[in-house]
Formats: sequence, C-alpha cells, structure tokens
Amino acid sequence: MEKILNKLLSHRWLVMITVVALTVFFFIQMKEKSRMETNLDEYMPKDHPAFVYSDKMEELFDIKDGIIVALYNKNGIFNAATLDTLKQLTKRLQKMPEIDKNDVTSLYTADNIIGTEDGMDVRRFYKRVPRTPEKLAELKRNVENNEMIFGRLVSTDETVTVIIAEIGDSVFTQDFYNRILDLTKASETDDIRIYVAGRPIVEGTLALLGPEDMKRMVPIVIVVIMLVLLFMLRSFKSMIITMLVVFISTIWVFGLMAWTGIPIYSVSTMIPVMLIAIGVAYGIHLYSHLQLYLREHPNAEKREAMEDMIRYMWKPVLMTAVTTAIGFLSLLTSQVYPIKYFGLFTAFGVMMAFLLSLIFIPASVMIFGLPKVKTRDAGTPQHDRNSFAARFARGVIRHRSLLIIITVVVVILSILGMQKIWINSSFLDKFEKTSDIVKTDHFINEHFGGTTTLNLILDANGHKNTFKRPEVLKLVDRMQDTVETRLAVVGNSFSLADYIDRMNKVMNADSEKYNCIPDDQNLIAQYLLLYEMSGDPENLKKVVNYDYDKLNVTFQLKSDNSLAINSAIDLINRFGPEFKKYDISMNYAGSGYKGLVFADLILEGQIKSIIISLIIVIILLSLMFRNVWIGFIGSVPIIITALISFGVMGFLNIPLNTTTALLSSIAIGIGIDYAVHFIEQYRLNAAATGDKILTAERTMAHSGRAIIFNAIAVIAGFLVLLFSVFPPNRELGALVSLNMFTSFVGTLTILLVILHSTNIYFKKKKTENQ
Amino acid sequence: MKTTIIKTTILAAAMAMAGHGISRAQQLTGRDIVEKAYNLPQGNDRTSILTMTLVNNNGSTRVRKIKQFYRDFGTVEKNIMFFLSPADVKNTSFMNWSYDSDKPDDQWIYLPALKKVKRISSDSKSDYFMGSDFTYDDLGDRKLDADVHKLLREETVDGIPCYVVESIPKDEDYMYSKTITWIRKENFVGLKKEFYDEDGELLKSLSIKEVKKIDGFWIITHSEMHNVQNGHTTIIKLTDVKINTGVPASMFTERMMMRGI
Repeated sequence: MEKILNKLLSHRWLVMITVVALTVFFFIQMKEKSRMETNLDEYMPKDHPAFVYSDKMEELFDIKDGIIVALYNKNGIFNAATLDTLKQLTKRLQKMPEIDKNDVTSLYTADNIIGTEDGMDVRRFYKRVPRTPEKLAELKRNVENNEMIFGRLVSTDETVTVIIAEIGDSVFTQDFYNRILDLTKASETDDIRIYVAGRPIVEGTLALLGPEDMKRMVPIVIVVIMLVLLFMLRSFKSMIITMLVVFISTIWVFGLMAWTGIPIYSVSTMIPVMLIAIGVAYGIHLYSHLQLYLREHPNAEKREAMEDMIRYMWKPVLMTAVTTAIGFLSLLTSQVYPIKYFGLFTAFGVMMAFLLSLIFIPASVMIFGLPKVKTRDAGTPQHDRNSFAARFARGVIRHRSLLIIITVVVVILSILGMQKIWINSSFLDKFEKTSDIVKTDHFINEHFGGTTTLNLILDANGHKNTFKRPEVLKLVDRMQDTVETRLAVVGNSFSLADYIDRMNKVMNADSEKYNCIPDDQNLIAQYLLLYEMSGDPENLKKVVNYDYDKLNVTFQLKSDNSLAINSAIDLINRFGPEFKKYDISMNYAGSGYKGLVFADLILEGQIKSIIISLIIVIILLSLMFRNVWIGFIGSVPIIITALISFGVMGFLNIPLNTTTALLSSIAIGIGIDYAVHFIEQYRLNAAATGDKILTAERTMAHSGRAIIFNAIAVIAGFLVLLFSVFPPNRELGALVSLNMFTSFVGTLTILLVILHSTNIYFKKKKTENQ
Repeated sequence: MKTTIIKTTILAAAMAMAGHGISRAQQLTGRDIVEKAYNLPQGNDRTSILTMTLVNNNGSTRVRKIKQFYRDFGTVEKNIMFFLSPADVKNTSFMNWSYDSDKPDDQWIYLPALKKVKRISSDSKSDYFMGSDFTYDDLGDRKLDADVHKLLREETVDGIPCYVVESIPKDEDYMYSKTITWIRKENFVGLKKEFYDEDGELLKSLSIKEVKKIDGFWIITHSEMHNVQNGHTTIIKLTDVKINTGVPASMFTERMMMRGI
C-alpha cells in the first residue's frame, strides 16, 4: 500500500486528471439523472406484512388521505354568501385533474336522508343556493338533525364547514398545492376565511420543505467549516484541498446513485452531512501530521514530507475508513430500502474520501507545493512539555479517578434519560408551532373530529354476513362510543353501525329512540338494501365489503403524534377478546398507522445496526491492533457518545424519528475515527518513549490536536443549522454537534485514562513504571 | 316516467311495426331514430324474473333475484317488484308509479322485518337503481326531448348495420354530458350505448348481449352496464317473460306489497 502510494507521487498529474475526469463524469450523471423521491409510500417496505395488509385494505375500502378545505364565517355559515362559496369551491375542486369528482365531499354534495310520518325522504341539502330566511332556516334544521353531517361536515357551533377532497398517494405536488391555495384565496371575502389542511398537505409540504431548507443552510454550514479550518490549519491551500476531498467524494456518491438509477430519498440528504463530519477528518489528520513534520524539518522537500506523511498515516486513516464504512454497511440489515441505500452509499463515500485523502492530497501537494508553516511555529521543533496539550494530558491523568466518576455519573444519567425516549412518526410535530400548517390543523381540530384518521379493519375470517349480525354491530357501536368518550384525542368515529343507526331512526319517523342497532338481522339486511336503493351505494363500499365479512371503522384523531395514535390503538385493542368470540380479528390500515409501523421498523433496524456495528468495530479494532482489549477500550468513547446522545434526547424530549435515529451512526463513525487515531499514536509513542506521561503528552499534541480541529470545525458548521427555519434540521444540527463534542471529549479524556490505567502498551515495563 | 324496469330492457326495444313503414330512401334525423327506439311497442303488461348481478372491481359479486310485474295504465305506468333472494331480504317489495305528466314518481318500499310500507321520495333523477350501475333514466325513463339528438353516422358493428346517434342533454347540470347510442337499422333495437360524464370522459358503456322475440315483441333479455371509471359492472338478465297476460290492477297496491307473492 505504502509503495503504491509513493509511486503515485510520481504520477501526480495522472492522479489529478483521473480524479477530475471521474468527478466530471459523476457530476454529469448527477446533473442529468438525479431524481428526488418525495412519495413517502415509496419508503415503506412493500413486502412487510403490515404494509401489504394495509395496502390491500386501502384498495378494498378506497381509503385515501383527504385534503380538508375549511370555510369559516364568524357570523355562521347559514347564509347565501357562504353556501354559494361552498358550492363553487366544491365544483372547482371536483374539476381539478388531480381529484376524482366522486372523492369530493361537502354539504353541497351530501345526501340528506330524513324520516317523515309516512316514509323516508332522500334529498340534497341544497342544489340551488337558498336565499330566503325560510329556506335557510330549513337547511339549518336539516343539518342539525343529521348526525352524519352535523359535527362532521358542519361544526357544531355552525361557524365552519368543510370540503374533503380525497387524493391518491402520489398526486401531491407543490404546484397542485399552490393551485388549491390560489383557488381558496380567491374565494375569501371579508367574512369568509378559508383554511387548507389534511395529511396530504402536511406530508407533501414536509417532503419539500426539509430539502429546500437544507439547500439554503448547507452552503452556510460549508462556509463556516471552511473558515474554521482556515483558522486552524493556517493554510488556505490545505483548507481548500481538505474541503475538495469532501466535495468530490459527495459528487461521486450522488453521481453513482444517479448512474445506477437509485433515487434520492429524504434520508439520502443526510449523506453530505455524514461525509462532511467524517471526511474532513482525514484531511485534517494528514495536514496536522504534515505540519508537525514540517516544524521538525523546516527544510524538508515536498517529496520527503509526503513520503513521511504516507508512511505514518496510511494505516490509521485506512483503519478509520474501514471501520466507519463497516459501521454504515451494518445499516444494510434494515428492512427499509432508503436506509439500506443510505448505509451503502455513505460507506462508499467514506471509502472514497479516504482514498482521495491519500491520493489527491499528496498529488495536490506535489503539484501546488507544501502549505506554508509559520516561522514562529518552526522555531519550536521539539516536543514542548509546557504546551496546552501536554498540560491537558497531565491534568487528565492526574484527575483520572474524578474523570471516571464523572463518566459513570453521566452514563447513569444518560441511561435514565433514555427511559424517557419516545418514538414519534408525526409529521405535524416537525413543523414550527407557529407555522400556518400547524395553526390550520389546530383550528380544524377544534371544530371537527380530527385531521388524522386511523382505520380499524375488522375481519370475520371469511364468515359471510357477519357484519349484518345485530350483536356484532352493537359491539362495534359500543366500541366506538367508548373510544370517543374516553379519549379526548379521538373526536369522531364512523362505521357501518352509524348507517344502520341512522336508517333505523329514519324508518321510525325520525324518533331518537330508534337511533340504535335493531335486534333483527333481516331488518339490518333490508335497511342496507334500502340504503343502496336510495342513497349512494359508493358510500357503503367505504365501510364494508361485498360479502359483509370485512368492516372498516374510521377513527378521527386530533393529533398525528405517535402517543395519540397508540393510545387509541391500546383502547381499541381491549375489545379484541370480545370480537374474538365471533371469530373476528382486528387489524389496522391507513397512512397514519403505516407511519407508526414504519417508525418502529426504522428504529428496530437502527438499534440492530448499532449493536452489529459495535461488535464488528470491536472485532476489527482487536484485529488491527492485535489485541482484544484494545477492541473493548476503543469502543468505550463510541458507547458513551451513543448513550449521551440518546440520554440528551430523552431529557430534552426530542423524540426518535427517522432523522434523529440515523444520527447514532455518526456517533459510531466519528467515535471510531478518533479512537483509532488516538490509540495508534499512543501505541507509537509508547514504543518510542517508554514513558507513560510523555506518551500521553505526545499523543495529545499529535492526535488530540487533529481531533480538536476536526471537532471544532464540524461543530461550528453544524451549529449554523440551529438557525434553520425547519425544526428537524435544527435538531439535526444540535445532535451532530453534540455527538462530535462528546466523541472528542470522550476520546481525549476517558480513552486516555483507560489506556493509561490499563497499562496496555506498557505491560512489559509494568514493574519498572510502578 | 321512472323505473319501468321492463322498458328498461326495452329502451332499445323491439322493432315491430316501427321498422316496417319506413322507406329507406327517406332521410331519418337523429330525433326520428331515437323516437322510434323509444316508442317500440312493449305490450300492456308484463311479468318476468329479473336477475341482477353486481360485480365490483375486486370481482366480488352480489346476486339478487326479483319477481316483477308491470302494467301500462295509459297516463301512469305501474311497476311492482318482490325480492326472491338473497334470503335476508326475501319478500322485500318495491312499487313505483310513474306518470306521463311532469308529476314526480311515487315510490313505496315494504320491509318485511319492519312490517310497514313506507313512501320514499327522492329529488334525484340520477339515482342509481338498487345499487346497480343503471340509473332510473338509463333504464328507460328518459324523455325524448330532454336531449338534442344528432345522427353522427351509419356504420356496421359486428355485421349489424346501425345508426350512431349522439344525444346531448338540454339541462346542463345533467349527470351526463352526452350519450352515444348504436341503434340497429333493422328493428330500432339498441345495440350499445356510451355515457360520458360531466367532464366529457367516458363513464359507462352498456351492451345489449341478447334480444329475444317473445310473444311477438322484441325483449332485451341480457344486458351489461360497465362503469369504466370505478370498474363496477351490473348484469341484468330477464327470464320467464310473459306479455299481455292480463296482470290485474289490484296487483299494484300496498296490500299486495305486504302480502307478497
């Protein structure tokens, strides 16, 4: 390896041209073929049983997410102006190419089935806009008397009415959203306010907002890192080349992705983040070594300097790269494809960054010359025992007992904090509390059942007509009542039972006494036939299947937060044993539920991957250093970093989600790098000096310096993200910075203490030293 | 005039005399052709067994068997239906009186489990008939001059020479923006029909699968309506058709609905 690298020093132009050519190639690939995947359904593993089932049921019951357009008039909605706006908006939404006409529901499209003395009356609530006070009063009365409308399409305080437009999964685009907003804005008057909400809007905006914010913030992050690097490396050339290594490897990664036809998923936007944090380190360690070498040999030729750098550094850099890459490759065990790709491509990027560091940096130095080293520095060729690094190293060793106690306390606190950690698959929680989207959602939740839906699928396992049985429907009714009254977060629920209740009431002259499930199964069947004959049979399709052996019960929730959804599921599941008596099983479907399962999958995969990569890291470190104990010692800073990361999230109430869970990868990737460099230096210095204190001082001066440079540059860069307008990106910035900080502090303190106390590289001289 | 199930089947109905008197040389307008199709003789009364099969987009089916009686009283046409199966709706009956005047139809339903006859009133002309893909209008309740008819062309389909007529409703709010009907030149019985939705897109297509001459009248005994937008299909088959057997007026009463057959 060393020989090849040295040989390449002579072929610097060839190296340079190859790197540039490859970069151009990948850049063109990236430019031409890159495709962003914003459809969140594409993220879900298609063959996972929960998703397969949910997709099947969504198809069967036509379960789609709805855009909610709410018309608010503080003077009430029963006036010609509001009703006319409602009619016009309904019609315009029906005409939009993205929306199926029959998927738009509002007071204008709804049927009003009412009971009369001698029979039943099926009418539209209105077709022509009612203008006289009598007609308006009649409409108001009809709405108030129809439980399937009142509180569902019209708020009970009668100031808000909604239009629900259900759309398919991949329909949402920014342009579509803008056209809806234009449409609604144009319909607003002094009295009428119009709000747009619903999961497709939230999901779609989120998919667009995150990467957009990143595009704005990343350049600033990079500039800050560059400035800090410039300040620390004291060389413009070194800084530029270090950054180039990161940029080029990032281009190669995304170019390869485009070339192989793999789309950019939202988690893939984390790849540059990882590569910046990790890739910068290679350059820093190399340059840091080079600078120290030049201080000691102020008159060295560039070829000599490069050969020295390669001789001392290729091994630790290779080791860090391989361990980091393997850490990311462990993500291949995840069931979620975007995460697999994330692991694979980040590993590729890490290896490229490593390769470029060892090829491109020397080639650049050969071509553009050595970085200048300040003469002031050049005057102190020998190791300075009074330097900050040396004093720090001695301090650490002197206070080692204290440090161990502190570490133990921090670890215990972190483990306590981890108990509080919770998983959140909510989309709304990712928005600013003061954002329009959150405010609109609150507004609609205040007036209606809820913007989030959870579908419970009751499956009678092939026993046809089960859901015509009175005792079964009564149980469904009771379950709905219980969940609605016991959980404040569940605003509404809807099932076949509601239709039967309504028909029973209507056929008994609208008597409230009959607003229930009748005892006669034939009567239920006859009501259903009557509903098909007089109402819209498509409505029934959404609640029960043709054979009456599968039922869809819809719960409306006021929050899409995982705690809320889980509380509903827990309560619903308590009815499981009762349904079991009729051989009915319970399952869930719909986007909210899929999100929940998906978050669990990611987390499960992440935890599995952390454990796997820890084991691999321990084995690799043991092999590289030919010592099992080093494997364990080296993993200590990683474990501490990961624990603190999760602990802080617990204490700060930051929930785990796709982004934050992935961040633990960074703890491992960076933790290993630091540990490898530090241990390697410690080993070399131990062998060279044979003095424990001096070894500590020198290691601190060499590796410690590079580690601090790396940590400060990346922390400074990522702290910029704290000013992001997008909360998840803020969390990202904070957590990356935190991980960098704990990794570097952990390495420079506790790792040194352990190396020192275990005498691992001083075994032979143990007796002499003590 | 709503819900004349039989007429339904006969929208495209029989040839009989209509076809005879026409000289081929005479240029028929779209309206003439549709008028002849609408006015095909159907007999004064009729009894039959109607089997309606609903097929949804998953391929699941619901089959309903109905015994029906029809009689034309001149200014009013009366229709009564009794469900024979499925078992849980057996003896449910439905009666419809449809008037030549603009008076809306009278409808009654009897649910045996409720033991009460109830009147149903509805303001929607576009109601689907018993959850099928046929609206009452599709089933033959459309008035001739509710649409503007235009002969588009003459063509031969499956060896059968047809007139192709486009009908555009005068009411802009009607559920179809237009229909196109293929009518057999030979006997003015329909062959197929396409229904276009408000946006001008094909919504449904009707095909007449079987026409039989029964007691001297052309009767459509098998037709299929396919909704291309939701994948739903309705198949209607008529059996045991008897025409002009003298169905008594007392057949069309609430008492009869409750008694059943």
